[in-house]
Amino acid sequence: MSIQLTVHDLTLQYESHPILDRLQFEISRGQRVALLGANGAGKTTLLRCISKALKPTAGAILLEKRDLESLSPRELAQTMAVVPQETRTDFDFTVEETVLMGRLPYLKRFTPEGDDEKSIARRAMAMTGVSHLAKRSIATLSGGEKQRVIIARALCQEPQILLLDEPTANLDLGYQHSLLELITGLNREKGITIIAAIHDLNLAARFFDRMLLLSSGRVLAAGTAEEVIAPGPIKTAYGVDALIYRHPLAGCLQVSVRNNTDDTKTKQPPIHLIGGGEEALPVMEYLRRQGYPLSIGPVTPEDSSYRFAAFYNLPVIEVPPFSPVSDRAHRAHLELIKKAALTVVPPIPFGIGNLRNLEAVETALEQGSPVAILSHALDQVWDFTGGEAGQILERLKSKGAQLLGDRSQITALLERK
Amino acid sequence: MKHGQEEKKLKILIYPALLLALITVAAMAISIGAVPFTLREIGAVFLELSGLPCGVSIEPVKKDILLQLRMPRVVLAGAVGAALATSGAAFQGLFRNPMADSYVIGVSSGAALGAVAAMLVGLPAAWGGVGAVPLFAFAGGAATLILVYQMARVGNEVPVMPLLLAGIAVSAFLSALVSLLTYFADDRLHQVVFWIMGGLGGATWTKVKIMVPYALLGFGTVYFYHRELNAMLFGEETAHHLGIDIEKVKKILLAGSSLMVAAAVSTSGIIGFVGLVVPHFIRLLIGPDHRHLLPTSALLGAVLLIATDTLGRTIIAPRELPVGIITALLGAPLFIYLLRRRKKLRYFDRTE
Repeated sequence: MSIQLTVHDLTLQYESHPILDRLQFEISRGQRVALLGANGAGKTTLLRCISKALKPTAGAILLEKRDLESLSPRELAQTMAVVPQETRTDFDFTVEETVLMGRLPYLKRFTPEGDDEKSIARRAMAMTGVSHLAKRSIATLSGGEKQRVIIARALCQEPQILLLDEPTANLDLGYQHSLLELITGLNREKGITIIAAIHDLNLAARFFDRMLLLSSGRVLAAGTAEEVIAPGPIKTAYGVDALIYRHPLAGCLQVSVRNNTDDTKTKQPPIHLIGGGEEALPVMEYLRRQGYPLSIGPVTPEDSSYRFAAFYNLPVIEVPPFSPVSDRAHRAHLELIKKAALTVVPPIPFGIGNLRNLEAVETALEQGSPVAILSHALDQVWDFTGGEAGQILERLKSKGAQLLGDRSQITALLERK
Repeated sequence: MKHGQEEKKLKILIYPALLLALITVAAMAISIGAVPFTLREIGAVFLELSGLPCGVSIEPVKKDILLQLRMPRVVLAGAVGAALATSGAAFQGLFRNPMADSYVIGVSSGAALGAVAAMLVGLPAAWGGVGAVPLFAFAGGAATLILVYQMARVGNEVPVMPLLLAGIAVSAFLSALVSLLTYFADDRLHQVVFWIMGGLGGATWTKVKIMVPYALLGFGTVYFYHRELNAMLFGEETAHHLGIDIEKVKKILLAGSSLMVAAAVSTSGIIGFVGLVVPHFIRLLIGPDHRHLLPTSALLGAVLLIATDTLGRTIIAPRELPVGIITALLGAPLFIYLLRRRKKLRYFDRTE
């Protein structure tokens, strides 16, 4: 891949305050580059420097080894097209007229737009899916439609590089994805280099193949999603503790900001939950939302209950995978149950590995700790212990454990006490 | 969909319609007056001029009235109306502001100051071969425009409010200067006062010859950049991304528009509202595309000023009402009406 854009020692000062501070990077032909960074990190300023809308204080930008300064606006517009964050469209140009303006850098003065120009515009509109709007006034379009029209105009410029500033910022979920899919398609089919400033790290990780993380006008990290979307750089750039994980369906990296609220400062009584398995999640999430301080029973670090506890910084007992619960963990478990006003057994599967957790519940129940079982734990056949788990659950029932049909009944049960 | 097609039809129809209106209004303006002319007589004079024999004989005095008084006045009124309307359209596009016209922005006042100064200093009419009054009017207008523009400028943007406020402030200041000069005008007082009111009285072919080339040059310059004006409606940065050398084009457009204003103001004084109302009305009909907006505004501006000038000339005959008074009387209510219909205004209704 050949180098297409070189940013060399780029500095831009505004009232002697550096907005961009000796930026240095290269972009190869055909890449999809996401510009990341907090508000005020310099993303938009950098894009405006690359599009020559701003003149840098120092440094240079090279386009195919030619200094941007030596290019006329017309030459630049034939190579590079820009989709701004928002386009003012408070006048009645039709979509077709707007898209056709993308031919401006090619038109000779007083030569009317010919059939060539018109067919290029038609193709651009077809590609971005706005052909049916051709005769409509651009002022009447929705935000998503308008963005597509502006992209069609950019395509009409037949650019090699497409710059986008927060292209999804004002769009709804559906338009966000279809727009990024459209851009990805243009990159793959036409080889257009994409450089987009983007706020949503998760969308960036999913749709872009190279990241450039800016912080205080400098390049903090550059490279693949794995290199850039990491707790360290994200802490520096955004000032938040990030948890990085793989999207369970898409497989790409995802970022979530760690919860910072203190769950111990609540008037609600503490609840202990036997974790393990996806089925515990909705119950835990519900109880946390209701404001109960939670503790989570012995789970392996791979378990979703463990991740939940880590995310919200909850007390949790960790056990190694594929092995029975140790004596130490068992004692710790009993401690947590005793501290809780209620112990909840969610509808989770039980096997040899976690059977001991049920035994701990039984012990605690005998010693006077209240226990609630979410009833479909009994109905469903999630007993992988050859019937042993089912027997314990039956015994718990007979020894006074409350049987609840739904997670919302937990609240009522605690209020009754 | 239907909307777009109707607009296309209008775009085709508007030229012959406006041309027809122009010919009709011009013919009426020539025929109406203290000495009335029939269409036959007008036709005969024109036939005779082009060297063709005609049956009707016309007294030489009447012929003189037609050729030396009415004709130059109609042509001048048309040229001034066209220049004012086109410059208004250009200013509005350039500033992306519907309130912009030479009057509001202060260019007219600047041009007036220049013109009055030239009159009072008593510079010869053909000073520098082009006429001192128009030259000074142009210089005054251009200087004012640059001043207002720089005052309103924040970085690369020229926001609406500062622009209008700066325009109003500078305009008021310059008007005060004009008043000051007028106060010391002494024996030239009448000339100056009547000039300021805005009138086309005393139109001669000489005035036409001085004014029209400036106006045409200004119009040509602005029309030359009609595509750039269209792109600039999307904002200067977008226009830049479409390959337009913004700073250069902006200066050229300002110069071209000021040239038209200066040409109009220097020959006819201050005539308001033509530049404001005409482009808005045209946008309602055919949309914001400057390729059509500029020439059709010119045509409608010409029609409007010929008509109002004829009205001013005849309404309290034998005395003459300065046309500036009539355009303000008609234009202000019309503009308010257009503002009330804001939702249909072709651009700048984003505050809704």
